[in-house]
Amino acid sequence: MATTSLPGVGLLKGLGVTLKHLFKTPATQLYPHERPDLPPRTRGVIALMEENCTVCMLCARECPDWCIYIDSHKETVPPAKEGGRARTRNVLDRFGIDFALCMYCGICVEVCPFDALFWSPEFEYAEYSMDLLLHEKGKLREWMDTVPPPPALDAGAVIPAEVSDAIAKAEKELEQAAQQAEQAAKQAEQAKAGDAAPKAAARADEPKVEAGEIDQETYDALIAEGKSERIARSKAKAAYVKKQKALLREVASGAGREDEAAAEAPAPKAAEVHVEAGQIDQETYDALIAEGKPERMARAKAKAAWVKKEKARLREEAESGGDAAQVDTPAADTAEATPEPEGAAGPAADAPAPAEAEPPAEPQKKLADVHVEGAGEIDQETYDALIAEGKSERIARSKAKAAWVKKKKQEQLDAGGDE
Amino acid sequence: MTGYDVVFVLVGLVTAGAAMLTVTSKNLVHAALHLAVTLAGIAGVFLVLHADFLALVQLIVYVGAVTVLFLFGLMLTRAPIGREALDSQNRGLGLAVAGGLFVTLSALIVMAYGGAERVTPQRVATEDIGISIFRDWVLPFEVLSMLLLAALIGAIVLARREAGDSGEAQDQTIIDFGDAPRDEQGGPGATPAGAGGAAELGSGDTTTSAGERR
Amino acid sequence: MILDTVLTTSTAMVAQTAGLLDTDSFLVSMLLKVALVIGLFLSLPLIVGYMEHKAMARLQHRRGPMFAGPAGSLQLVADGIKFIQKEDVIPRAADKWVFAIAPGMALVPALLIFFVLPFGPGVWAADLELGLFYALAITSISVLGVMMGGWASANKFSLIGGLRAAGQLIAYELPLILAAIAVAVQAGSLSLVGIVESQATFMVAGTDINVWFVFPQILGFTIFFVAALAELSRPPFDMPIADSELVFGYMTEYTGLKFAMYLLTEYAGMVSMSALMVVLYLGGWQILPGVPLPGCEAGGGLFDCGVLGTLIGVGVVMGKILMLTFVMVWLRVAYPRLREDQLQRMSWLVLVPLSLVNLAVVAVAKVVF
Repeated sequence: MATTSLPGVGLLKGLGVTLKHLFKTPATQLYPHERPDLPPRTRGVIALMEENCTVCMLCARECPDWCIYIDSHKETVPPAKEGGRARTRNVLDRFGIDFALCMYCGICVEVCPFDALFWSPEFEYAEYSMDLLLHEKGKLREWMDTVPPPPALDAGAVIPAEVSDAIAKAEKELEQAAQQAEQAAKQAEQAKAGDAAPKAAARADEPKVEAGEIDQETYDALIAEGKSERIARSKAKAAYVKKQKALLREVASGAGREDEAAAEAPAPKAAEVHVEAGQIDQETYDALIAEGKPERMARAKAKAAWVKKEKARLREEAESGGDAAQVDTPAADTAEATPEPEGAAGPAADAPAPAEAEPPAEPQKKLADVHVEGAGEIDQETYDALIAEGKSERIARSKAKAAWVKKKKQEQLDAGGDE
Repeated sequence: MTGYDVVFVLVGLVTAGAAMLTVTSKNLVHAALHLAVTLAGIAGVFLVLHADFLALVQLIVYVGAVTVLFLFGLMLTRAPIGREALDSQNRGLGLAVAGGLFVTLSALIVMAYGGAERVTPQRVATEDIGISIFRDWVLPFEVLSMLLLAALIGAIVLARREAGDSGEAQDQTIIDFGDAPRDEQGGPGATPAGAGGAAELGSGDTTTSAGERR
Repeated sequence: MILDTVLTTSTAMVAQTAGLLDTDSFLVSMLLKVALVIGLFLSLPLIVGYMEHKAMARLQHRRGPMFAGPAGSLQLVADGIKFIQKEDVIPRAADKWVFAIAPGMALVPALLIFFVLPFGPGVWAADLELGLFYALAITSISVLGVMMGGWASANKFSLIGGLRAAGQLIAYELPLILAAIAVAVQAGSLSLVGIVESQATFMVAGTDINVWFVFPQILGFTIFFVAALAELSRPPFDMPIADSELVFGYMTEYTGLKFAMYLLTEYAGMVSMSALMVVLYLGGWQILPGVPLPGCEAGGGLFDCGVLGTLIGVGVVMGKILMLTFVMVWLRVAYPRLREDQLQRMSWLVLVPLSLVNLAVVAVAKVVF
């Protein structure tokens, strides 16, 4: 009214606004009949990835409502190696969240350092009795199935630090591998041409070592002791090479010590694997579910299957990496035979390292991509079929999701093959 | 004895009963409601006498407006709500006044129409009523409307004077605060404070001149 | 009307013209008419109520009732059943008799108006010479029921609600009646059927273009519409039941059937006020100005149009009523509630002077043309 001179124009505008809404589709969601369209970050219920929990108690301590109950005991794990030290680890006995007290602040999810707690958009867990709202470990684990994959990053968003680091590292290693292959070829030529092989090998390693490949701890210790810069560097370098060599030997020594090697190199990757909620072998899982096995068993078995597969893959890679090192760099063999440790260990130690680090990274990323793209997507056909069979909403959804992921994976693999 | 007579008697009885209840009721609001029934009954009597227009006028004016105003006034002032009773104690005086009025009116009516012949009621078209009012009886009609207008104006004057009286004190308060913008509005020739009465209550002029005089 | 049937048997029929107590019909026809009126009285408000539910929901981007009956159309029936089942609570301090009678006092006038409303060619219970006056008079006494309810509840909110309702009705009755009188002056009749008839033959001065009264009297129509909204206590004039201040005004203490009666009164009032507007301003059962119904070309098509024409006529009237009630709902959705003093100011300072001007202009025009 203030802007118009004519009285009543504002009144007519009001009528116009309401009339416009008459012809719009109502915003009502027919909830009990149709599921609400919830964003993936909906705070419906808190799910527990039990395997990731280390009983650090941070969540229980930070909870403003004190609604998280945790019990645990310590177990002694026998030493992995002979002569090793026995370790203790915490075993989770009880993990309960009282949703009658919970105020859905999400601090526990934020604070969990091991990615054991997640938000799930499920919200249909009302009970007739308040004590039934205290969800124990098993139930919280079941909610894990309903946790959607994290939403895709926005276009142009900054890549998360861990991902970009991994990529950079992988690229660098690839480059180095290529360089080494080149160097090795040169070496081989030189070895054929003359007797300068050890020196050439040493020289060939020079640039790589110069690239800062020194053992930082040693270096720091020596500097702290007041040693001169040069001495410290050279000693640190020596220490690094020694370490690498030991590592290589372990890797090469066969499948029996597979775990050790995995613990060294792909350890951070393993953590990432857990980050991707629900790292279970989807096929196995689906098959078991289809057989009518209970949810939990299927999950456990699928997980076992996944671990087995992963191990097998790692072993394969390690072997192939070793082969590659042997086949592609014949010079390395000769170099290894020489008594000069600095020159010999270099290519042999480093060549398998990228080969090992890189292949696991790639499928991992592929898998991750599939998940990211498919934020909460489900295979509609599967879903409809299951619903039609009278399966419960949640199971149908998780299966449909699994089916979708499988499909997507297949597509991705096909696409990768084309590339 | 026709059907109309029967209805007339029945309506009359209801009206008389309601009238009795109006004056005997102990609860003022009940009395007003009984009055509404009485007035509606009178409308019914008019109806039986083929005075449709008059009956509807009776309804719209007396039941729809007068009784509602009664109730309105009662509720606005001091009517108890619910079952509590508000009862006047002046029964003797009331009885005397009512009796005197009844006797006077009855005597007047009997004196005026006592010897008249009994006639059958005739329906009169509304058009004819209008024509006779605005042609033959226009002077009494206008005089009556003037009377009503005078009453209306009198009521307003009474109400306004009261507001003006109480307004003086309010005027003072406004001057005391005196933080209204003084120099922007009103000149030296502004009206003196208090002269305006209710109409100028709190207006810029009053405040300004008072402030200047101080 | 029952009085009429009793009197039909009596021989002392005095009148020559149609009047309140006269009839040329017999018992069966009378009963049929009463049945028709009561049927309409009970069904039309339900239809309007359903329309309000749905239209209001859609205007507010919602869906409205969906589950009771097809598309929720039986929602109000379900509500009615619910009301019947409810306990009839009477507050201890309440004036029991007045409290009990009040909803009936409000409901009966709403029903009585339906007897004179023409819903189509020949579809009315009574064509009174004073039809319009009768309708307005009956409207004016419905406030009694509201005041009685407000007072008898022995509740502050109820009392204030009743007071507000009374003040509002008194204030808006004047413009309402003045606007209606202007129509009566233009039509030269107080009979609702007569007004429809005169609209069928009303021409723009100097031409032979037939128009409805809404065109020459758009001001009067606006006044009548606004005043009708206020009379019905419909938003934005719903101060008597202003939920945010008065809980539910005069209806606060009412439950069950009595509450339902008040609600029915409101919706029946919407129907009857809309029907009055259709008759006064929108040409009754004419589809368009100057277009008579099929089958009733003769005499403006007022009484006998054959089955088809009558049905179409009823449909047209119902359509217009629904349209007007939709506008009422639309206003309810679009505008916030006025303040009580704004309401009174609007009536006495705007509507009453305007309606007087309207009346004067119409009267002068009537004499001149």
